[in-house]
Amino acid sequence: MQASSEADRQHLVSLLGRIADGDRLAFQDLYARTSAKLYGVALRILAEEALARDVLQEAYVKIWQKASDFQSAQGSPITWMATIVRNRALDEVRKAKPISMSSMGDDGADLDFAAETEHPLDGRERSEELRRLMQCLGGLDEERRQIVLLAYYRGMSREDLSRRFGRPVPTIKTWLHRSLAQLKGCLQS
Amino acid sequence: MIDPAEIDELAGEYVLGTLDASERRSVEQQRGADKALDAAIIAWELRLQPLNELTPEVQPPADLFAAIERRLAETAASTVIPYSAMAPTAEIIALKGRVRRWQIGTLVSGLLAASLAGFIVLKPQSPLPEQSQFVAVLQKDAVSPAFVVSVDIATRQLTVRQVAADKLTGKSYELWLINASLKAPKSLGVVHDSGFTRGVTLAAYSPDVVESSVLAVTLEPEGGSPSGSPTGPVVFSGKLVQATP
Repeated sequence: MQASSEADRQHLVSLLGRIADGDRLAFQDLYARTSAKLYGVALRILAEEALARDVLQEAYVKIWQKASDFQSAQGSPITWMATIVRNRALDEVRKAKPISMSSMGDDGADLDFAAETEHPLDGRERSEELRRLMQCLGGLDEERRQIVLLAYYRGMSREDLSRRFGRPVPTIKTWLHRSLAQLKGCLQS
Repeated sequence: MIDPAEIDELAGEYVLGTLDASERRSVEQQRGADKALDAAIIAWELRLQPLNELTPEVQPPADLFAAIERRLAETAASTVIPYSAMAPTAEIIALKGRVRRWQIGTLVSGLLAASLAGFIVLKPQSPLPEQSQFVAVLQKDAVSPAFVVSVDIATRQLTVRQVAADKLTGKSYELWLINASLKAPKSLGVVHDSGFTRGVTLAAYSPDVVESSVLAVTLEPEGGSPSGSPTGPVVFSGKLVQATP
């Protein structure tokens, strides 16, 4: 699996290179290989299909236009593309309403940490990086881990998190900063 | 933003997604000029990105790819015409259509060699390709430095390339956005000595502001104006106007 995911990565790198030269077929191939993942990312943050669709559309237009900016040394193509999608989705969710959709009426059941970390994921291989990150997330208190995961996956703001966890915004902010520092330290060790 | 720990907290929260709209805008504006912040953001993206592996794939609507292709075609159909608001003697050459870097280089050197005067619009030789970048070449006279400014309307990203100018020693060209609605000229950063200056984002400004703004390039001390306000002479200024196709 490691070999094939490296082959996938290489393929995406070469597709982005061709897209930078204006190759439409390469763009179509890239879309076919990445759109389900990226739509999943957008949908989790926006929780609304129409918004996720718009965000994905804009993100692919940007990917087409910015393909030449991708530097393979800086990370994987999917990371680069997911960052574009997340940033657009976060801008959208902050713009749309002061409180993100996903923070309302969402019991967060699908974000259960145990479910996401301990169950085999339909045979999907997890990278060494994910295994390491999960270990470090496991070192956070339950509530703080939930906060980090809800922020990353659901795009929740400090205000959203404050409401959800019944804690003042400054407390959430402090927790976020401590959690981030702890994660960073753990990943470096 | 001097404390490295504060930079890291801000970058971490930016990537995590917990900042509000105005904080996000401010980070996006700052990262262009603040290398430490930019590096911290990239580091956090790399640290947290493995989480995306766990995001379930969801098939997007079947017609989305066709919609994206239409958007690319529409982007190609609009056009930008540079208009020199403050430098009436400037020669302005608008290049429309997708112009690759080597083509820009070739055209610019060709045009400069010919010492062209006046206003020249190069029409595309063939029907517009389905995607487009909008490029303006701005120059006061044949011996002045020229700047190639391209604006990506969809993402409001601006790229500047300095061509045909002697290398500056101890000085830098700095790009400014000037608009009555902004209290003071806003720095868009220092124009690199050679090659491209990219990733200059206009995302913090609404399309109305961008369209009604004047872009100015000033001569500043090396590394850009120390005060955050323009101090040197205006080398070029001009206005980007979006015209109907």
